[in-house]
Amino acid sequence: MFRNTREGLALALPAAIFSTLLFLVPVGILLSEAFRFEGGWSLQGYIDFFATPLNRTVFLRTLKLGALVALTAAVIGYAAAFCIVNLGPKSRGTIFGMVVLPLMISPVARTYAWIVILGRTGIVNETITGLGLSDTPLRLLFTETAVFLGLLQLFLPLMIISLVSAMENIPRDVIPAARVLGASWLAVFFKVILPLTKEGLVIGGTLVFTGSLTAYITPAILGGSKVLMLETLLYQRVNVSNDFVSASVIAMILIVMSFSANLLLKKIASARS
Amino acid sequence: MNTSSRLLANWIILGLTLTFLIGPFLIIILAGASDTSYLAFPPEGLTLRWYLKVFTVESFRASFLLSMALAIFGTLAALLLGVPAAYALNRYDLPGAETVRTIVAAPIIVPGIIVGLALLRYLVVPTGVTVTLALFMAHTALVLPYAVRVVSSSMHNLRADMEEAAVLLGCSRFQAFTKVVLPNIRGGVLAAFILGFVTSFNQVPVSLFLSGPGVRTLPIDMLAYMEITFDPSVAALSALLAFMSLAIVFVAERLLGFSRYV
Repeated sequence: MFRNTREGLALALPAAIFSTLLFLVPVGILLSEAFRFEGGWSLQGYIDFFATPLNRTVFLRTLKLGALVALTAAVIGYAAAFCIVNLGPKSRGTIFGMVVLPLMISPVARTYAWIVILGRTGIVNETITGLGLSDTPLRLLFTETAVFLGLLQLFLPLMIISLVSAMENIPRDVIPAARVLGASWLAVFFKVILPLTKEGLVIGGTLVFTGSLTAYITPAILGGSKVLMLETLLYQRVNVSNDFVSASVIAMILIVMSFSANLLLKKIASARS
Repeated sequence: MNTSSRLLANWIILGLTLTFLIGPFLIIILAGASDTSYLAFPPEGLTLRWYLKVFTVESFRASFLLSMALAIFGTLAALLLGVPAAYALNRYDLPGAETVRTIVAAPIIVPGIIVGLALLRYLVVPTGVTVTLALFMAHTALVLPYAVRVVSSSMHNLRADMEEAAVLLGCSRFQAFTKVVLPNIRGGVLAAFILGFVTSFNQVPVSLFLSGPGVRTLPIDMLAYMEITFDPSVAALSALLAFMSLAIVFVAERLLGFSRYV
């Protein structure tokens, strides 16, 4: 440790000042906008926002889809993580790499694939009309299911990564021991695996949930204006109706959610160390 | 269950999961090669014309160059700010170090779309700064947390007494930094650059509002193109971008064991 405080500050402050001026200040002003009303301060912006049925629908849909994606990712994630941990060291590395790789690829590319799958001339519709199950193509795009699938594919790797690292810390003999003592696989999961991987589940769950909440591209491409989520609603409010008060309310909701998720993660991390 | 059927179940679950995660890429690669003027899968006839067309679309070329420039220079600027900050946070007993850390990490917590809107409304509009400059600063701010985090963790393992020894042996503090610290954290800085580059290049929401006539990042341009045309060229471009990211990560992993840092 060096003691020269002034020198240290000179090195650290440019980054802090840059972040403050370009981040905290503009975002702070934007957040304050919903509280300004006829020259004074009030909660009118928030009251008006939640008084609109569409806004309420979008708000609840965003929470619902976020929770659903996180839950599904947890179920698939546990199965996949369990299998990965059971692999030999060599194939484990390869499979783990294949799980992580999609995270490095542009979300636009990752979402676009679903248009090919779910579109009017996509695989699903070709199969359905080919088999004669329906004469006209079904509308699969611009549905909640499409957004759900897109988000799940986008964020599932985060859940698997968190669960794999949690499961690697389970002592080797614990699961066979529970089995020998007569526990069913269900009991093993709920009484042994789940309690021992709780932290990984919370970390993965928060990452997937906040990721789904704040994703823009997936709802924009797969949901369009039929299935609005908070981010796409914000964009529409600003671009179509110049409504900055709604934008400010949505911004507050998103920031509060991802900030609390972040606090939770920090708490878990510090409890561990 | 006996061992072999368990092993089989294991691979079936993994196979399904990987199909869901990676299958879509194989689909866009093939969809981009379909010899039709609309998206089709399975592809009807194979052609490379959509892959070639991508390079001739003027707006794709311009937006690709903009995205590249933003990713390269934005990340360099973030490192220029982030490396000294990471160094100071590790080596000095700073008053308010925790505050500095929180401020620098803040951009991760705030969704990009909000940052873009805030910068447009309170920076570009009142001060007349160009959209390109605002984009550059937004991408820098966005990458800064990653730069500080990755460089910090590689500096964490470097003992301070090496520098002290260098100073005792006659180096100036600056020389001690360039001759002792920098060579030792080179891997971390490179990893931070790659992570920053990929993050910035793939970033969409922050650039949504920060685009103007002729100023569009590549993902935004692709979104716009998708709305008017349904030919397979976006699929082809998506496939090419996926290959680009994979190549970068592969080379990085080979050269410096990238995954250690991320």
